[in-house]
Amino acid sequence: MEQKIEKEDKKSGFLTRLLTFFKTLGLTIKTRCLKFYNRFKEGSTGTKLSHVIMGSGNIYHKQYLKGFVYLILQVGFFALFIISPEVNGTPLGLKSIVNFFTLGTEPGDIFNPADNSMLMLLFGVIVFGLIGMFLAAYNSNIKSSLKADNDIKAGKKPTSLKEDIASLLDERFHVALLTPAIIGIITFTVLPTIFMILIAFTNFDSEHQGQVLFNWVGFANFLDIFSGTGEISVRFLPVLSWTLIWAFFATSTNYIGGILLAILINKKGVKLKKMWRTIFILTIALPQFISLLAMRNLLSTYGPINSTLMSLGLTDAPIQFLANAANPWTARITIIVINIWIGVPYTMLMTSGILMNVPSELYEAAQIDGATKRQAFFNITIPYILFITTPYLITSFIGNITSFNVIYLLTGGAPGVPGYKAGETDLLVTWLYKLTIDESEYNIGSVIAIITFIITATATLLSYRRSKAYKEEDAFQ
Amino acid sequence: MKKLLMVMALFLVALVTVGCSGKGPLTIWVGSESEAFYTQKMEEYKALYLEEKGEEFPHDIRVVGVDTGTAAGTFLDDSDAGADIFTAAHDNLGKLIAGASAVAPVQNQALLAQIQNDNPETFLQVIKGTVGGTEYTFAVPYVAQALVLYYNKQFITETQAQTWEGILEAAVANNKQALSLAGTDGFNNSFILLATEAETGNTSLRLYENGIQENTYGTGDDTIAKLKWGQYFFTHANGARRPSDSGWEVELKNEISIAFIGGAWHFSAAKAALGDDLAITILPTFELIDGYGEVEAGTVFQSGTFADTKAFFMKKNSRYAEYLEDILLFLTSKDVQEESFVAAQNLPAYKNAADEFAAFQENTLEAKLAAAQVRMFEFGIPQPFGFQTRYNTYYYSKGTPDLILEILENNGGNFGTDAQILAQMQIVETIWKTGNRPA
Amino acid sequence: MINTNVSIAKKPKKFKSAKASRNISLVLSYLTLVVLTIIWLYPILWIILSSLRVEYNNAGDLIGIVVSHYIPKGFGFDNFVNLFTNTLFPRWFLNTLLVSSVTFVLSTLLTLSVAYVMSKLKFSARKKFLNIAIILGLFPGFMSMIAIYYILKALQLTQTLFALMLVYSAGAGLGFYVAKGFFDIIPNSLLESARLDGATNSQIFAKIVLPLSKPIIIYTALLAFIGPWMDFIFARVILGETNRELHTVAVGLYYMVYGERVDSNVFTLFAAGCVVVAIPIVTLFLSMQRYYIEGVTAGAVKG
Repeated sequence: MEQKIEKEDKKSGFLTRLLTFFKTLGLTIKTRCLKFYNRFKEGSTGTKLSHVIMGSGNIYHKQYLKGFVYLILQVGFFALFIISPEVNGTPLGLKSIVNFFTLGTEPGDIFNPADNSMLMLLFGVIVFGLIGMFLAAYNSNIKSSLKADNDIKAGKKPTSLKEDIASLLDERFHVALLTPAIIGIITFTVLPTIFMILIAFTNFDSEHQGQVLFNWVGFANFLDIFSGTGEISVRFLPVLSWTLIWAFFATSTNYIGGILLAILINKKGVKLKKMWRTIFILTIALPQFISLLAMRNLLSTYGPINSTLMSLGLTDAPIQFLANAANPWTARITIIVINIWIGVPYTMLMTSGILMNVPSELYEAAQIDGATKRQAFFNITIPYILFITTPYLITSFIGNITSFNVIYLLTGGAPGVPGYKAGETDLLVTWLYKLTIDESEYNIGSVIAIITFIITATATLLSYRRSKAYKEEDAFQ
Repeated sequence: MKKLLMVMALFLVALVTVGCSGKGPLTIWVGSESEAFYTQKMEEYKALYLEEKGEEFPHDIRVVGVDTGTAAGTFLDDSDAGADIFTAAHDNLGKLIAGASAVAPVQNQALLAQIQNDNPETFLQVIKGTVGGTEYTFAVPYVAQALVLYYNKQFITETQAQTWEGILEAAVANNKQALSLAGTDGFNNSFILLATEAETGNTSLRLYENGIQENTYGTGDDTIAKLKWGQYFFTHANGARRPSDSGWEVELKNEISIAFIGGAWHFSAAKAALGDDLAITILPTFELIDGYGEVEAGTVFQSGTFADTKAFFMKKNSRYAEYLEDILLFLTSKDVQEESFVAAQNLPAYKNAADEFAAFQENTLEAKLAAAQVRMFEFGIPQPFGFQTRYNTYYYSKGTPDLILEILENNGGNFGTDAQILAQMQIVETIWKTGNRPA
Repeated sequence: MINTNVSIAKKPKKFKSAKASRNISLVLSYLTLVVLTIIWLYPILWIILSSLRVEYNNAGDLIGIVVSHYIPKGFGFDNFVNLFTNTLFPRWFLNTLLVSSVTFVLSTLLTLSVAYVMSKLKFSARKKFLNIAIILGLFPGFMSMIAIYYILKALQLTQTLFALMLVYSAGAGLGFYVAKGFFDIIPNSLLESARLDGATNSQIFAKIVLPLSKPIIIYTALLAFIGPWMDFIFARVILGETNRELHTVAVGLYYMVYGERVDSNVFTLFAAGCVVVAIPIVTLFLSMQRYYIEGVTAGAVKG
């Protein structure tokens, strides 16, 4: 959850960045082309040859293993592209590029399967990725040969395999460490994310899946938010506003509650601090599907809490904490209150750490000024905590926007809104989940995901601005 | 070098992909409650195969228990990974055969004949569908289900349970809620909408009859009159209610409500909730208090139900296609259906089951449940299904169940007059037909 | 009413009243803590009581649904016995143990590698990687679940536990912030002097940085180990609803109480499952809580 960014990144805004991006893009292309040409001209025979047959440069320089790896890469890449083998009935290779644009043309019949638009889109993305990587490998093959050229020119021997491996453990150690992580991220994060963004521009929904083809529709799904009578246009604003209200209250109640609890536990004179803390940590340790489902049943209309309230005479009829269709705020407030149970221990832990580390100089200075304990508390402790935890406050706001478990397990979005999937307590993310997993409305789900991303990205951007502003103040006064 | 390593890994991945092709056993999905039963049946099938053909059945067979309510959706999400034979309610047919169809048609003449001979007339219509202009039979019914009345016999006598008036009388006398619904979808309040005139068995309601979208009618005089009575029942202080978030079983257990409409799959929870006080019968009748149009006050209606069948479907282009129909011939035979009723309380989709099956004649609660269901078939119509969509046409979707519930509960007092009810039903009918609200 | 824990050497003038008021405030503090403890333990206690509830109705059927009283009319371990004999729970438990054991090793390795690189090694694409990592982290995780499913399928891996391990571990590279915050504190001078002594980067990582990083290693490993026990979203999609023998505890228990036509008479059985899952997880967590707290504090505060 904790997102941090390097200081040096925060200077330019998105717009200026975009402008400079296009400017530099033009320049880069020009210089790149020139460089490429010069490289070819100045390279040795091996290097020249490696422009056509990958690895030949390395083989020329007697770096056989490296050379053969490049060669195999090239052969493999071309073989894959030309053969375009069928994976799960859909070709992966050169054909994927065409398929990416058509998303399938064969409608199938009772005995023959239709084209699989979904796999065609996915394989298209994969193939574009592979082309990019092949080009990178191609470039690195030339560079590697060039480096050997230069080594020879400088009177050194080209690096041996042994040296290459050794460098991976030292000056190029970051490569060795990052490669597995990057492979994982590309395969299971980047690729799926790009794929799902593209889905937002198709009509891949419950009526276009399985044996039915789907197609590109441009921005139609986005325009549906503003016009049309579908679920997305009717429920979008209510869900969005509740998401923001929820994020605000969930963050602030947890924050204030956590600080108060931390102060209470860390209060001078309170014994068994560790025990108290452990009791609250239990909530963090317990899987949420257990604790939240317990809460849901406890609070149900004829559940134990209502029966207690009624036997104590506090209420005549059971209170519908989570399902009062007449007033959605009953459920919403209940959720926010239960979220305190879930979230406060976390803030408490964090603030406890800070409380114990308030720089003592601050108190000494206050003492000299003749401040009372109470004054010291309100003028030093509280501002210090606020100052230190501001970044956390913002990241936890972002976390709450995408908080899934609390809503999904507690109410599942109930009370429902007649005629729509998104209930009164659904957040953007739970709505997205229902639409994609339960209803197979993948395109609309993607649109919602993109919007969620835009919101969280904006908040993140603001937060970095802010934390930078704080840091530039240099120190807490 | 970094890039090199990355590319290498990706190629490796691609090679592995091309190189491997997994082969699974012949897989059959059945309802989890009868997994053990069908596992045993398939062992018997293999033995029979050996006997008849003189050789072992050449493949492994795996029987897997699934949630029959969602099995069709699971199959469609990834039909490659889906079972070769799987169970689903007939109303999934539309989504299963959308486009070029994800399931294979039945072509074996013996199997087609068995379907024709054994199944109730109602089922024969709902297992066929049209793909590419030709009509095929796609499913083999093997389980039937209908809704029945579960009630608490501490409060309701056997006579009272025959009419909603009697149940309401019992509810008033004990100051309880007469009826809990199981859910808010169109299935659960269908007993009013689907009710038929007791004397004649007539109703003007049409829901996608013969699978034709336009063949839909929900604004007849009797429909409005039934809904008016429904509103009386649902707004009565001791009348029917939608379920609370505690669930109907808790309401029955805590004696908040004294009756409940449910299917066979509610039996275990109902039995746990009520114990010896549980009784089962067919859905009751009701007598109109007000007339509407041609329909007079005092007309008696018999509550209706969706008479459904769970059927076996076959995967299109299954690797084991040549064996599937023979297996189905065995699994849906009369004998296996009867055994399945005894072993797993699966109500047979066999038209003369009530007379021919000995197990139906016993005096157990299970037998009563079965008998009540079979009798409800007289008053039932199959659930509608659509050809194009994931939904059962638009009966359950686009908010129509909510719109009907609004009438029943007279939400906000907006449906107090006949004209208001009619107007709402006109909206519902338009959605049923087109999927969209009227402009 | 509330005081700080920070001692201030010089006491205020009004001795007597100060002492009295401090006692009152202490009593109030304890009172509040006790009330809060009851609130916090209440749902947990209820689940435990439910799991031990063995009540029969007059027809001799076990009542497994939610009831409105707290103290069961009959106690027993029947639910636990049922759980282990009549359901696939033992399988689920072993599956989860297997998945989380592999996941925590892989995830920890990946997370620490990336964190170390981002914190201590300088190279050209570093800034880019950081930015991309942040942007990727902002997309709702399960948005791409369907795509992940089909990628795994193209790799012939769906509906296997290995696929689940892969998915849980693969994203670990993006969760490096907390560990990076920790590595940032290790003084660069320490690394510099080792480098002067001729140590390579890998030696520095293995011999200097890692031994200093026990708290963060344990923190990372703990979270990675516990994750598979809690997740019911990814596992549901990747393992498939029908492969019940492959499910993890969270998915198995989820399907026990969810679903259109689920038998709702199993709440006590579900509660028993929850208790069996919670005991090892909570014990592990509490025994490692020192490291967890250290990680939380480091992660949240270090900008």
